[in-house]
Amino acid sequence: MNITGTYNEQELVSALAKRDNQAFNYLYDHYAGALYSIVLQVIRDKDLANDILQEVFINIWRKIESYDPSRGRLFTWMLNIARNAAIDSIRSKSYQNSRKNQAFPENVHIIGSQVTQTDVDSIGLKKNLEKLKPEHRVLIELAYFKGYTHEEIADIEDIPLGTVKTRIRNALLQLREHLTIK
Amino acid sequence: MNLQEYISSGIVESYVLGLANTEDSAEFERMCAAHSEVRIARDSFEKQLEKQAMDHALEPPASVKSKLFAEIEVEKDHAPRPKTLKQAVPAIRPVWIRYVAAASIVLLAISTALNYYFFSQYRKYILKYDELVSSQTQLVNDNRNLQTRLQDYEQAMNLIRDPAMAVVKMTGVAASPSSLATVYWDSRSKDVYLLVNNLPTPAADKQYQLWAMVDGKPVDAGIFEMKDGLSLVKMKNIPQAQAFAITLEKRGGSSLPTLDAMYVIGKVTG
Repeated sequence: MNITGTYNEQELVSALAKRDNQAFNYLYDHYAGALYSIVLQVIRDKDLANDILQEVFINIWRKIESYDPSRGRLFTWMLNIARNAAIDSIRSKSYQNSRKNQAFPENVHIIGSQVTQTDVDSIGLKKNLEKLKPEHRVLIELAYFKGYTHEEIADIEDIPLGTVKTRIRNALLQLREHLTIK
Repeated sequence: MNLQEYISSGIVESYVLGLANTEDSAEFERMCAAHSEVRIARDSFEKQLEKQAMDHALEPPASVKSKLFAEIEVEKDHAPRPKTLKQAVPAIRPVWIRYVAAASIVLLAISTALNYYFFSQYRKYILKYDELVSSQTQLVNDNRNLQTRLQDYEQAMNLIRDPAMAVVKMTGVAASPSSLATVYWDSRSKDVYLLVNNLPTPAADKQYQLWAMVDGKPVDAGIFEMKDGLSLVKMKNIPQAQAFAITLEKRGGSSLPTLDAMYVIGKVTG
């Protein structure tokens, strides 16, 4: 750690690459809350979310070399690790088995409708989802919070693939508008 | 689509949030590498997203951190991996790799074409080479034959030129007036050489025979083939003789000459 006790992004990344504990401590203190919030937006179960958050930081610790600054900011990279880890866990066999009474497409819609009722839904991207048209909202739910591919969504919603892509992009642009206005 | 339309198409948000498909992501990375405007738009959204996420951070339980750091320590002990961080490079890599790949394919195609061309040329030249080798062998053989014949003529020439050589001209008899043959007789060694100047070509079962007339009796001086006689052919050694004659005998020669088949005769002079 440098004298002021803070890092710029480049310093942080190179310190992490040397497996510097203090740098990692700083990383955790600085970003764990934001990443935890993302994980909770995908996973309702807090115990599971805690495990996922730990797994996310282990992965960051192990794979810091694969972070490529030319592709974007460190936070974006970590955010995607966190979201992917959370989505992998809800799409895993054991998680699906625990809800196997529900058929696949209904499952998506039921979870989707429950989303707006939990406390974490008042935060972040999710909060702004309410402001979208329903046909846009469901696509963001499926794509971003459930991790379905565009092809899977086209199948589930029975709309053309091109429409899925266009609607998702439009929905994201609207979400961004709301972020800016806030 | 111009750059501004591209930037505001939603691709920036899709890419950053991990919702763009592989193809669109690859294109976006190329656009980032090529246009600073796209990079700036991406960075701006990333910062906005980061700020929004930081504003809405939720404190995780302290147990997560303690468990995490315990696990990190275990990892450190078991897998000490000194690593150097890859230098941050602008994302131009995918672009030039495409060009290099395209260039490689073009070079491969050219190389294949050249290989085919050179191989067919190679086969053509192999055939030509074989032709040359065989014609050269032919020339060498011809040359050797000519050399041999030339040596024969030279030898004959030397004998004819020799001053010690007695020359006996044998002229045609009445039955064969145009016939002519010459004996060269070495006065020292008594070796006899014959030159056919003009004799009819004999039948296949007949052969000319040279005779020496010694004190009125014919002595066999050897049989000869026409074609050898056209050069200079060495006959039997004859110590003394007063005349020489040629008769046509059965193939293999006779012990006595067939006188009515005599073609030429000549007396030894001096």
